[in-house]
Amino acid sequence: MPDSHYDVIIVGAGPAGLGAALYAARDRFKTLVLEKMIPGGQIYNTDRIENYPGIVRIDGPTLIEQMQTQVESFGAEIRTGSEVTRLEPLTDGHIAVCCDKDRHIGRAVILAPGSYFRKLGVPSEDEFRNAGAGVSYCGTCDAPFFRDKDVVAIGGGNTAIEETLHLAKYVKKVLLVHRRGEYRADRILVEELLAKAHEPGSNLVIKYHTVVTAIQGEGRVQSVKLKDVKTGREEDYPCEGVFIFVGMVPNTDFLRGIVDLTDMGFISCDSGYLRTRIPGVFAAGDCRLGAAMQLATAIADGVTAAMMIRVYFRDPSWWQKPVSDACQPLGW
Amino acid sequence: MAATKTIDVTDESFPSEVLESDIPVLVDYWAAWCGPCRMAAPVLEKIAEEYDGRLKVCRVNVDENREVASQYRIMSIPTILLFKNGELVDQITGVTPNFERDLKRKIDPHLD
Repeated sequence: MPDSHYDVIIVGAGPAGLGAALYAARDRFKTLVLEKMIPGGQIYNTDRIENYPGIVRIDGPTLIEQMQTQVESFGAEIRTGSEVTRLEPLTDGHIAVCCDKDRHIGRAVILAPGSYFRKLGVPSEDEFRNAGAGVSYCGTCDAPFFRDKDVVAIGGGNTAIEETLHLAKYVKKVLLVHRRGEYRADRILVEELLAKAHEPGSNLVIKYHTVVTAIQGEGRVQSVKLKDVKTGREEDYPCEGVFIFVGMVPNTDFLRGIVDLTDMGFISCDSGYLRTRIPGVFAAGDCRLGAAMQLATAIADGVTAAMMIRVYFRDPSWWQKPVSDACQPLGW
Repeated sequence: MAATKTIDVTDESFPSEVLESDIPVLVDYWAAWCGPCRMAAPVLEKIAEEYDGRLKVCRVNVDENREVASQYRIMSIPTILLFKNGELVDQITGVTPNFERDLKRKIDPHLD
């Protein structure tokens, strides 16, 4: 198959990639978005978005559908089922973006591959997960299978709290285990969580300064080992499901050796213009060093990268220049 | 939408469609409320097309077909089970980061 040529190739059709595509397409750049599954990314799994300014409440799939329609209406091409396996800087300054069966050449590339849930990293987590035997990373998906059962949820961020509240609607009892005494989550969600936990006879119970050190059972989850991090005391806690919400890891394995990655796998870039080590290759969204990992910031990243493309096309030597006021909109 | 190559199976049709199939069968357990299930769907559709004639791809809506869901102790969705000669030979739980590649890695050793 012959190479196809684009001005801008965007890797990933989550909020960052779609945000970038919107701006690139409106700038009349020939824009291609490559998505390994369907548009959406992690936000697709969220049924309750309340922190995106201007939209009081929306679910992930509806928002993404609207973003996709908007992006396509301005002429960007979105290719689903297209997993990028490799990136190759060419001698003429363009970048080859390789999928399984085809190759696309871009004058600029925006990397927006997103992130994937982090594993807890305790014995038997993978075994129970792979066997579908009681370890889950999606409360919205799996809560109905644990109707009237005891489960444990782990984490202290927004996702952990939202999903724990969702679980409480289905299960007999959910124990939320958090390694610290305070939450990373938005205060408003914490208040909702605490209100639910303080209801008389609540089926939502919280344990602070506690970690899960093992998941145990014969063929399916039957208990977890809890450890109080202050006293070191351990106990077995019987449960049939373990829901893990301990953050995200960037989907950047395919970029190893091409752009610079941090120890945790985040793409190194300058925080002002989102430029990576390779001229013409930007990073946007959850994948980049310093990402706030929010819907609004992912979109903002995509928009920033798309706007900086114009600066780069005008003057490729800009890539090596420090962040300055020369390319602010006022500057030209 | 283009004609689909995946086959919807029910509690009733599961034995004939899956267990008595002459070729290996991939069975996707899904539900409408599950975001990752919707993400998995186009990948399964692609697999169904690529492996046409060598592998059957079926889908079970767990809301409507609780019997075959509980029979295989489905506790997470999407769960994708691989059957050969009526036997469960492998499975994937959830949408993994390299879902298509992971599926093929499970499928390929079981094809004749």
